[in-house]
Amino acid sequence: MTGPLTLAINGAHPRTVDVPDDERLLDTLRWRLGMKGTKEGCRTGDCGACTVLVDGETTLSCLTLSREVDGSKVTTIEGIADDPEGRKVQAAFEAEEALQCGYCTPGFIVALTGVRRELGPEASTAALVDGLQGNLCRCTGYLAILRAVERVREAPR
Amino acid sequence: MTRSDAALKSRGGAEYGLDLETHGMLHGVLVPSPVASGVLRSIDLSAARTAPGVVVAVGPAELAALLPNGGDAERPVFPRSRVMYRNQPVAAVAARTLAEARAAARLVRVDVTNEPPLIDLEERFPEWPASLTSHDPAVVAHVVARHGDLAAAFRTADLVHSETYRTSGIEHVALEPHACLAVVRDGTWHVTTTTQTPFGVREDAAEILGIPQESLVVEGTWVGGGFGSKGAAFLEPYALLLAAAAGRPVRLAFGYRDEFQVGRSTLPAVIRLDTAVRNGTITARRVRLLLDTGASLPGRDFATGYSIGFLLGPYRIPAFEMEGYAIRTNKPPFGPHRAPFAPQCVFAIDSHTDGLARRLGVDPVEFRLRHVWREGDRTPLDQPVGPFGAAAALELAHAKVAAWRRTLPAGTGIGVGIGFWSTSTGAGGEVRLRLTATELVVEQAEHEIGSGSIVRGLVAVVERYFGLPADRVRVTSPSTATAPFDSGVFGSRTVAALGKAVEAAGEKLLETLATRARASGPVRLEFDGRRLLVVSGRTKVPVSELLQPDEREGGLVAEGRHYGRSGAIDASRVVEGTFYPYTDFTASVHVAAVSVDRETGSVKVLRYAAFQDIGTVLDAGMFRGQVEGGVAMGLGTALTEESLWAPDGRMANPGLLDYRIPTIAEIPPIEVVAVEGFLGAGPFGAKGLGEPPIIPVPAAVANAVADATGARVTELPLTPERVARALKLL
Amino acid sequence: MPFTLEQPTTVEEALRRLADPTGGPAVAIAGGTDLLLDLDEGRVSAGRVVSLRRLPWNRLQWQGDSLVVGSTLPFARLGADPAVRARLPGLVDAVDAVGSLALRHRATLGGNLGRAAPASDVVPILLALGATVRLVGIGGHRDVPVGRFVRSSRQTDLAPGELIESISIPSAPVSAYVWQRVRPANDVSQVGVAVARSDSPSGWHVALGGVLPAPTRVVEAEALLARRRPNDAEVELAAQAAAQRATFVTDKRATESYRRRLVSTLVRRAVARALRTEVGG
Repeated sequence: MTGPLTLAINGAHPRTVDVPDDERLLDTLRWRLGMKGTKEGCRTGDCGACTVLVDGETTLSCLTLSREVDGSKVTTIEGIADDPEGRKVQAAFEAEEALQCGYCTPGFIVALTGVRRELGPEASTAALVDGLQGNLCRCTGYLAILRAVERVREAPR
Repeated sequence: MTRSDAALKSRGGAEYGLDLETHGMLHGVLVPSPVASGVLRSIDLSAARTAPGVVVAVGPAELAALLPNGGDAERPVFPRSRVMYRNQPVAAVAARTLAEARAAARLVRVDVTNEPPLIDLEERFPEWPASLTSHDPAVVAHVVARHGDLAAAFRTADLVHSETYRTSGIEHVALEPHACLAVVRDGTWHVTTTTQTPFGVREDAAEILGIPQESLVVEGTWVGGGFGSKGAAFLEPYALLLAAAAGRPVRLAFGYRDEFQVGRSTLPAVIRLDTAVRNGTITARRVRLLLDTGASLPGRDFATGYSIGFLLGPYRIPAFEMEGYAIRTNKPPFGPHRAPFAPQCVFAIDSHTDGLARRLGVDPVEFRLRHVWREGDRTPLDQPVGPFGAAAALELAHAKVAAWRRTLPAGTGIGVGIGFWSTSTGAGGEVRLRLTATELVVEQAEHEIGSGSIVRGLVAVVERYFGLPADRVRVTSPSTATAPFDSGVFGSRTVAALGKAVEAAGEKLLETLATRARASGPVRLEFDGRRLLVVSGRTKVPVSELLQPDEREGGLVAEGRHYGRSGAIDASRVVEGTFYPYTDFTASVHVAAVSVDRETGSVKVLRYAAFQDIGTVLDAGMFRGQVEGGVAMGLGTALTEESLWAPDGRMANPGLLDYRIPTIAEIPPIEVVAVEGFLGAGPFGAKGLGEPPIIPVPAAVANAVADATGARVTELPLTPERVARALKLL
Repeated sequence: MPFTLEQPTTVEEALRRLADPTGGPAVAIAGGTDLLLDLDEGRVSAGRVVSLRRLPWNRLQWQGDSLVVGSTLPFARLGADPAVRARLPGLVDAVDAVGSLALRHRATLGGNLGRAAPASDVVPILLALGATVRLVGIGGHRDVPVGRFVRSSRQTDLAPGELIESISIPSAPVSAYVWQRVRPANDVSQVGVAVARSDSPSGWHVALGGVLPAPTRVVEAEALLARRRPNDAEVELAAQAAAQRATFVTDKRATESYRRRLVSTLVRRAVARALRTEVGG
C-alpha cells in the first residue's frame, strides 16, 4: 500500500509525495526526495546518524514511519542553517573541527540544535551531553564535539 | 587553519559510498551461508530468479561463464565447496528494488552439510602449545624466533613472572557501512566505492575476478570512517560480478548487521608470558601466542608474525623466545583494525611488565625506563633502533603520575601504558603536482577517510615546503584511470609517504621553474594576493609567464614518488615463519586515572594524558584529533567492546546495542602532548600517527585498575563483571 | 515483509481495525522503537500495522494521588514533567535510563509494557510502585496490576483485540530505580532494582529487572525493610534476601552469579537513593 505524504521540509512549501506505508522517513528523505545529507547508519536507532527535527523535536528518522508524520514540518541538515540556532551549531562544529570522516556530523548538528531548543539556552553542558548520548562518533573521540558544545553555549545570542 | 572539508561535511554535502545511485541501477544482495562449517551440495537459484523484480541470480556455478578463467581459484568469489563461516556469501541476486532483492535472496535454497565448527581456541587446544603441532590442519601459520641462552636465564633468575592473558575480538564500527556501485560495459569494469585504497581494490578485485588490472577502474568517494575495514576489496568483486551478469549498474551495500557478522577484524587470542629477572633486571622473556585468524587462507596470515614482535615490548631483553600459532577458525577472516592486534599485545605485555615491577617493589615507570630502547639499541631481531621518543615520553608520564597522585582523591588508580609501533611503513606512493598561474594542485589516488591526512596533511606539507598559503593548494583524488599509484591510507603511512612524494615532485617543479626563469640559484614560490610568482633573489616572475601554451589549463606538471625502506632483521634468529622489520620507531605513553566501584566492578576513567612520539607536528589540530580519537577508540577496546560468538558460529551481538562503542558520556578529559624531535622518515621528520594513539590505552587502563585495587585483570575488555571477578566479588 | 499502515483517530476505530479479519494479522504500534526492528527482522510478521499515535492517549493527568499516563505518551514528556519528577522520582529514574533523548521522544510506556522485554528498565519500577494497566477491548475496560499483566518474557495478559489505554501509578515521593550496565549510557541493564515506599500500610516494595522469567517483586525483601527509615542492618538483610530469592539468567550480558552479586548492592543503593530527598534523610 502507498499513500500520500505531505511534508514541509526546511521551511519550503508543503510538498506531497506518494510513499509506501512501511517506508521510513530516512528513506523518503534520502531516496525519494534526494536529500542525502541525512545519513543512514545502523537503522536500529542506536547511532543517531539519521537524526532530523520533526516539528522541532529530535527524531530518529530510521525508526519513523513516514506516513505517521504526515503533515509535519521537517528540518534536515540541508536546512539547519536557516535556523539561527542551527547556524550557530554548524559554525561551532566547523570552527572546532568537531568532525573527521563527517558521517555522524549531520546527525550531531541537528541533534544539538534540537536539544538546545528543547532544553533552552541556559541548558548546562552536562544536560546537552545527556541529550547527545545517542549520537555515536568513531573518529573524534567526542572531545572536539564537546568543545563545539561549549562554543555554542558561550556564543552571543 | 580549519580543514577544507569542514564546511562541506557540516552542511551534509559530502557524498559517501552509501549515497551512490545512478539511473537504471539494480540493488544487489548477498546470500549468506546458513552454517559456519560445511560442504556445499547445491545452490538452487531457480525460485529467486523468477521472483518479482529479479534481474540476475548468480552462484558458484555461474562463475565460469561470467569470468575469464572463472576467477581466482584460490580466492573464488563464492566458495566452490567448503563454507568457512556463517553468513559467508555463497550467491548473490540483483533486483530492481532492495526489498525485492532481499526477498529473492531468501528464496535461494542452499544445500550444505552442517559440520561442527571450530569457534573457541582453548576448547579446541586446551593444553597448547603442548597440544599443538604446526602440522595440525587448523594451523595456518607457525612462527618461531629465539636468541640467547633462555634456559640459563630462567634457571638463574631471582624471580620468574608467568601469566596468561586473553583478548577479545573487536569490530571497526566505521559509521558508514561498506557500499559500492559497479558498472560493466564494453569490457570495462568500473566500480565507485568507499575505500581506503583504490589501487588496492583494483589489484585485489582484478585478481579475484581474474581480469587484467588495466580493465578495471576504481573511483573513490568520501569515506565514512575506515580504521582498516575498507583497506582491501570486499563488496566490489560481488558488485562487479552482478553488474557483468545483469548488464546494468548494481549498487551493493551492507547493513550494520552484515558489518558485524561478515566484517573482517581482530579476533580473540590467548597470550602466555614468562619473564625472568635477576638483580632487578629482565634477563629473558618467553612469549607464546595463539591467535584466532578466522577463515584466513594458509600463507596469507600476516598478523601472527607481525604482531608477535610487539609481545616482547620495546625493551632490552638479552634472551628471548617467541612462538605464535595462527589458527583457522570458522569466523570471517582476520582483517586489519587500526594497529592490528597491537592494543591487545600491549595490554598483555605492559600489564605483565607493570605487575612484575610491582612484585619487585620497583616503581613501574622507573622499571620501564630501566629497560626501554634508546636510539642505537638493538631490537630482539637485531635491528638498530632509530630515533625513538619512548624514554622522553616515559619521563613526562612519570611527572604526570606524580602530579595526579598529589591532586586526585585517595583511592584513584593511576596507570601507565607504553605502546610501540612501526609507523611510516614502507608501502609506496606517488603524486602529481600541477602548478597553474594561481594554484598548486596535488593529484593523488587517496580519498579522505577522516583523519585529515589528505585534506589537511598533504596541504600542510605543501605549505611548509613551498611556503604557500593553504588556500592556494588543492588536493584532488582522481580515479585509478589517471591517478598516480598509491598503496592506501593505512599503516600510519599516508602523510609520510605521500608527503615525501610531494617533496620529491616539488624539487623537480622548482628545478624546472628555475631553468625557465633563467635563475642563477634556487627559486621559490610566492603568492602576491592575486597570482603565484617565482622568486629568485630579488626578481619575481609570475608563474603565468613561465607556463607553455599547452600548460595553461592543466598547469606545469611534476611527478614525485616515495618508496620507503625498512631496516633489516637478523634472519639467523628466525626459526620458522616470517617476521618483519620496522620503519619509524614510534612510542605512545599514556597515563590513565580511574575510579573503581568496589561492589560492582565498574571502572570510570577520570583523567587521561597521552604523550605521543611524533617527530614533527605538521598540523596541531590534526594531531590532537588523531590522538583524542585513538584514545576514545582504545577506551572501547579496554572497557566495553567484544565480539561474542556462539558455539554454532553465529555472532551473538551483531548490533550497536550489545557491541558497545564509547558514547560522548564516557570520555574523560584528555591531555594531548607532542613529543617532538625524535625524527621519522616523513616530511620534515614527521612520524605516522593514525595508529599509535590507540595502542597503549587498554594497558594504561588495566594498570590503573591494578593500581586502585591491587587486582590484575588478565582479559579484555575490562567489563564490570571481569573486574568484579578479579576483585573476588564472585 | 511489507505492511500496510492504518492510523485510526478514535479508540473504537482502532479496536475495529485491530479485530478486522480481512487483510491478515494486525499488530498495534505505539512508538515503534522496538516493534519496527522486529518487523524488519521478521521476528514479528504482520501484514497490517495499526498506529495508536493519533488516539487521544498522548497525555498525562493526576487523579487524586495517582498519575494516569496515556499509553502513547512519549517517555521524554514523562521525564520532563515537574510534578512527576517530584512525586514519582523512581519512575523518572527509570524513564531517563531508557535509550537516548531522541529515542525517548518516540518510546512510550504503553509500548514498553506491551512488548514486555525481559530487560525493561520500566517494568520493575511500575511493579514497585504498584501500577495498574487499564486495557480496552470491544467488550469494555479492565484493570490489571502490572505484576499480572507482564507474565513472562515477551508475554502479557493482553487479549487479542485489546489495547493498553493507560497506566495508573500511585505517587511515591520515596522511590528510586538503579541499574548496572557494561556501558553506562544507552545500554541494556544487566540488573535493575526498583524500590518504592508507599504511605499505605503495605510499606516498601522492591522489584528486580534482569531476572527470570520477567521482572518480579521480592516480597521477602520487602518484609525485612518494614520501617519507614530502615537502618543499615535491615537494608542489608533485605538486600541479601532479594539476592537469594530471585532466579537469574546467564546470557551474553552477564552471568547468573554476577547478577546475583549485583542485587544486594543495588538494593542498598536504591533504598538510599529513594530516601535521599526526604527531609532528615
